[in-house]
Amino acid sequence: MTGSPLGNVARTTSHRVVIPFYVYGAAALLVATVMLLVSHRSFTGHYFQPHLLAITHTMALGWATMIILGAGHQLFPVLVETDLYSEGLARASFLLAAVGIPLLVYGFHSFDLGLPARLGGTLVLGAVLAFMANIGMGLVRSKRENVHAVFVFTSTAWLLLTAALGLALLFNFTRSLLPHDSVHYLGLHAHLGIVGWFLLLVLGVGSRLVPMFLISKYTAPRLLWAVFILVNTALLGHTVFFLVDMPAWSDYVPVTMVAAALLLFAHYCRQAYRQRIRRKVDAQMRVTLLAVALMLLPTAVLLVLLTSIALGGGAQVRVALLYGFTIFFGWLTAIILGMTFKTLPFIVWNKVYRPRATLGRMPGPKDLFSDRLFLATVAAYLAGFTLFGWGIAQASVVLLKIGAVALLATALLYNWSIGRMVFIKQLGP
Amino acid sequence: MSAPGQDELIDKALDALRTVDDPEVGLNVVDLGLIYEIEIGPDAREVDCLMTFTTEFCPMGASIQAGVTEALKMTFPEAAVQVRITFDPPWSQSMISEAGRMFLGG
Repeated sequence: MTGSPLGNVARTTSHRVVIPFYVYGAAALLVATVMLLVSHRSFTGHYFQPHLLAITHTMALGWATMIILGAGHQLFPVLVETDLYSEGLARASFLLAAVGIPLLVYGFHSFDLGLPARLGGTLVLGAVLAFMANIGMGLVRSKRENVHAVFVFTSTAWLLLTAALGLALLFNFTRSLLPHDSVHYLGLHAHLGIVGWFLLLVLGVGSRLVPMFLISKYTAPRLLWAVFILVNTALLGHTVFFLVDMPAWSDYVPVTMVAAALLLFAHYCRQAYRQRIRRKVDAQMRVTLLAVALMLLPTAVLLVLLTSIALGGGAQVRVALLYGFTIFFGWLTAIILGMTFKTLPFIVWNKVYRPRATLGRMPGPKDLFSDRLFLATVAAYLAGFTLFGWGIAQASVVLLKIGAVALLATALLYNWSIGRMVFIKQLGP
Repeated sequence: MSAPGQDELIDKALDALRTVDDPEVGLNVVDLGLIYEIEIGPDAREVDCLMTFTTEFCPMGASIQAGVTEALKMTFPEAAVQVRITFDPPWSQSMISEAGRMFLGG
């Protein structure tokens, strides 16, 4: 056995690069939940409304994508076992997205799809390109074949496609760029982002982090490759079916493939859980595992929606709204709530305590946040998610309002935790 | 490691390293199985430690390595301490000691 001396340990991505993404994401969640409360009545109508588009993009880009990009810059080097290619590109990605997202959201909210929205969409596309270049160069430098890294890179490619199509749709509102009007393509745009970006990325990163945090012996690369192939084939199939104008029922095939992939992934997480060495599972990991179970919910809702369309039944608009809600406020938010407190405390700990690592025992990363505050956040979230979802299903303004208040409370508690962590000076000793 | 007095010196080093925890797991680096070899030179003038991390590019790696170095320097103040990192063989769960498994509830 040989080893490298002190200077050759891997460089971790600077906290200065990563933390702004988390702070931005937390603020975006707050903005989205305020908009949700203000516009809760909109959830009794059609999903194609300015305020709903604004909320959806605040959740998808400002909240989920910004947190994922932040965590991605920190975790990708762990996944591919090489340093981050460029912190400059990471900073560029943040700046472009940070400016572009509010412009885009403002455009949707006021339904002014002119210059601000187009500039916003272009900047977001630039942010995605910067992230993709960073990830791509990291993969090129990595010497190991790694299924998790392939998930991440492929999901980023789908994100690029989602952002490019989204931008084209923006221009298509006023200039005839595409064969149909922009509303026609909304479903494709949404699924490229939801399945190609969010789902694929969460499956790829989750399949690495879940066993790692549980200290589990379980590995199953072939199962993960099967998940990868199922999800990508499903998305390609959906895209082709859409482009050749197949009837809605044909989407049963890709939906069934995604459902199979999710069941395989749930099996993977269950096996990792059963074969764990660390018996005591903390609240953050429990919420993460709950999020894995919640992934099945929108798939079930989508099957109901497809059946409803096939049978020519009513209530499709409410089911479609519920479908989107169970994604952005469901598993995606749940997994971020859980994983934030498994990643950010370590980033902050490295910032505050790493220079003092030689001074003996000191507070650990888990001491940087309050477990009780975290549990209160989760309780508010579960109440808000259930009530608001129920409100959509029942078209009940009262339930929607109570649910929105609980989700706003979730965002406030989450921001409180993030603020305490990020702006911490130093705990003892 | 078999020279006279070496065993006691190595035990002393291991005791010191049991005060250094992996911040994520909360278990010390010895029972977690991160320490592969410790060699202590004549008159304890040189201490050479070979260790690993649970994963290559561990975000906490530099902090853990610094903690190990400092613990050895405090225990052997006269010695030149070197802490080297290897991933050959890579760390696996089987390297966790019985005491470590008890700590983790396994």
